[in-house]
Amino acid sequence: MAEVCAEMVANVWKVVVSPGDTVAEGDTLVILESMKMEIPVLAEEDGLLAELKVAEGDVVQEGDIIAVIR
Amino acid sequence: MTVLDNRVVTPASAEEAVDPRDPNIRLTALFDEGTVRPITPEDRSGVLAAMGRIEGSPAVAFCSDARVQGGAMGTDGCEHIVHAYDVAVRERVPIVGVWHSGGARLAEGVESLHAVGRVFASMTKASGVVPQISVVVGPAAGGAAYGPALTDLVVLADEGRIFVTGPDVVRSVTGENVDMRALGGPEPHSKRSGVVHVVTKTEADALVQARRLASLLGHQGRVRPDSVEEVDFTAFLPESPRRAYDVHPLVDGLLDDPGLELHPKWAPNVVTALGRLGGRTVGVIANNPMRLGGCLDATSAEKAARFVRMCDAFGVPLVVLVDVPGYLPGVGQEHDGVVRRGAKLLHAFAEASVPRVTLVTRKAYGGAYIAMNSRSLGATRVFAWPTAEIAVMGAVAAVRVLKRRELAACPEDDRAALEAKLAEDHEKIAGGLDRAVQLGVVDEIIQPGTTRGAIAALLAKATPARGAHGNIPL
Repeated sequence: MAEVCAEMVANVWKVVVSPGDTVAEGDTLVILESMKMEIPVLAEEDGLLAELKVAEGDVVQEGDIIAVIR
Repeated sequence: MTVLDNRVVTPASAEEAVDPRDPNIRLTALFDEGTVRPITPEDRSGVLAAMGRIEGSPAVAFCSDARVQGGAMGTDGCEHIVHAYDVAVRERVPIVGVWHSGGARLAEGVESLHAVGRVFASMTKASGVVPQISVVVGPAAGGAAYGPALTDLVVLADEGRIFVTGPDVVRSVTGENVDMRALGGPEPHSKRSGVVHVVTKTEADALVQARRLASLLGHQGRVRPDSVEEVDFTAFLPESPRRAYDVHPLVDGLLDDPGLELHPKWAPNVVTALGRLGGRTVGVIANNPMRLGGCLDATSAEKAARFVRMCDAFGVPLVVLVDVPGYLPGVGQEHDGVVRRGAKLLHAFAEASVPRVTLVTRKAYGGAYIAMNSRSLGATRVFAWPTAEIAVMGAVAAVRVLKRRELAACPEDDRAALEAKLAEDHEKIAGGLDRAVQLGVVDEIIQPGTTRGAIAALLAKATPARGAHGNIPL
């Protein structure tokens, strides 16, 4: 199991995946917007997207869990 | 202070299997085949030193003898290390230390502390004079932790452990329950502490990486611009200027062969790598927009600053790839000393006398623009791709500050249109690449498809120089 966390304060600009999706390492899960940049958040391992903790428009703080991969 | 098992290990008898902790075996693996020649006696001191060649170039190395008191450092062993340093400095060749040691010898008391301190003094005097590389292949505790920490580059094998005080002492003092691996193994040192530059899966690969580093720093070569083949980097950037991307393919494409990245998992928003361009060793510093949007922060500024100073001390030219939206804002950053630690990068670049080329690939904003080897800090040359944008901040953000009253007075329905118009006007006077060229803060706009040749040609004709300073582990 791997928790994917936000590295910095950001807005959730786009959600690319849905819970239950199969994801591979390097796949884009969501795209954050911060510092005028669109920053993809990538899966760090292969697995099943067990939980998605954010929705488009949410604000995430550094360290917040974005998704859980099993 | 010594926390490891210090029992005397019975020496292997002749018929027993080879002991992989034998320093002869480790030194033989480090040097080119058939070139190793001991420069200290094989004794019970816990250290063996030797000279030899690494990829054809001479080098000095010493290695803990973990078969004797777990490699603990006593007076004689420390004398051997000091002797190895004297030889390396006299010959002006790289020195590699292979560490597997519990620290100072308890039985020798303060005498061993004094001896370990003399090793530290030797390392510090040699700092910036000859490249120093440490390979940690087993536990390196107490004094044996600070030895590697004082050197330029630290390579950690999977079985390597680095800590000041071991799990038992930590448990008795703080109550924290932790094993050696979690305390000072590859995970904490690659991601959290910044103690280790390169982590490897095996001891054999750790020695291979040490050889690469010794060769890159000890045998730098000359730029041969004719040998440089162009790569069209246009497709390396995403279409949207706002989209983040991984800078590693760009760094590797710029170099003849993929570079050796230092601290890849620590402060990954800035990439620091050694490699060759046109055959010559260069140091590359690049913002990585994929991490933290490429923002500089306290840790990445410190990481880059130390790398700049190391390269400067050894005369390794720098290539700086800039795509930076600014310094990372936040209470955490300010309280973490982003002012003090960010200043290290300004100091490192401004101080550097080695040839240093900047290439602005996309954006260079604000204080981070200055910090990334700008013209004002004394860059040898500043190139920009046509896609580059140099500004104090993005135009829209700037007019929101500068034209706050005008925007507030405007009816809400018209505000977006006014903002866009003001931003366009602002860009004309304050930002934009043409303005940067006029001012001379960008020397030349080059195409992605002629970049390798442009940088190689510049480095080939730049006057070689190196900074006269040590490389304090910032």
